[in-house]
Amino acid sequence: MKWTCVIVEDLQVAADYLVKCCEKSGLLQVKGHFTNVEQALEYLNKNSVDILFLDVEMPGATGFDLLDQLAYYPKVILTTSKSEYAYNAFEYNVTDFLKKPFTYQRFQEALNKLTTAAGENNISSTATDHIFIKCDGKLVRLNNDDILFIESMGDYVKFVTPDKKYITHNTIKNLEEKVNRQCFIKVHRSYIININKIDDIRENDLFIKGNEIPVSKAHKADVLKRLNII
Amino acid sequence: MSGSNFSKKFIFNEKIDSDYLYSLYEDDYQYIEEIFSTTLTHFDNDLYAIQQAFTAGNLSDLRKAIHKMKPTFGFVGLPTVQQSCKEFEDFCQKATTSNELTSEYQQIVVTLAASKELIASEYNKLKEFNSNLL
Repeated sequence: MKWTCVIVEDLQVAADYLVKCCEKSGLLQVKGHFTNVEQALEYLNKNSVDILFLDVEMPGATGFDLLDQLAYYPKVILTTSKSEYAYNAFEYNVTDFLKKPFTYQRFQEALNKLTTAAGENNISSTATDHIFIKCDGKLVRLNNDDILFIESMGDYVKFVTPDKKYITHNTIKNLEEKVNRQCFIKVHRSYIININKIDDIRENDLFIKGNEIPVSKAHKADVLKRLNII
Repeated sequence: MSGSNFSKKFIFNEKIDSDYLYSLYEDDYQYIEEIFSTTLTHFDNDLYAIQQAFTAGNLSDLRKAIHKMKPTFGFVGLPTVQQSCKEFEDFCQKATTSNELTSEYQQIVVTLAASKELIASEYNKLKEFNSNLL
């Protein structure tokens, strides 16, 4: 099966070249090409893809702005002509950084990194039904099924279970990468929820055991997609 | 992009770094023609964005416009022009008014215009070369 990908790139010749590289690899199916962040977000919030080839500087918002607003995290390969973005790339946990123009061999190396990263992700996401958090000087085991939701509190997050609340030093952004995505979904920049614990959804809020949790516009479509609506 | 053993049948202008082009596309001359064509299609708009930003004294837009155009030259085998664009982009980053950049601006516009002529001439040669291959 091929990986699906989207190209976000404002320079036509660079986008065409990327399409050609993707086709040549035989591993990727290009689902779309967008020249700005707004168009890309509109597509990506309705359709999930495996890989995002992302330019950084484009008219209007930047590639990093797009990553901040995405409801989920596809694997990201940055394509830019400015090496100065390498540090940000590291911060955003992107898989690779291609400096334009790049050779097909360099493109293949990026794909190899994706293969490795995908392998690691599969292991971690299927093997864990629990997490450990550092709390009150010890490591506390929380079963995924016991966690109702996780709420951001600045540099800290609060894990809410039916019986207890645990506060630990972490961020939603970091946790989003680490929690089991079969159970958890980000619904707002400040909230990750257990998808199996939702009692009901009204307009732009959802309710879990009496807790009202906002659902941002950017994440709503993705949340609804995950529900078993009949 | 068509295989590791390729021939260098087409003679590029000496100003074009053909080794660099072959490293990107190998001997896929049809595709190189396509790249040159796409570049030419967008060239005037991209150049106009640079000129407009300079005239308006908008340094931020000027830097963005040159940043966008910069890799184009790498794609057509002109890495030195890409480097000149990068240097101009750096000037834009440091300058506080567009007046400080007048001489560098005039220089880069001349470089870009000359590059366009070169790309257009190579494109025509490539087109002819490819049509003879068919």
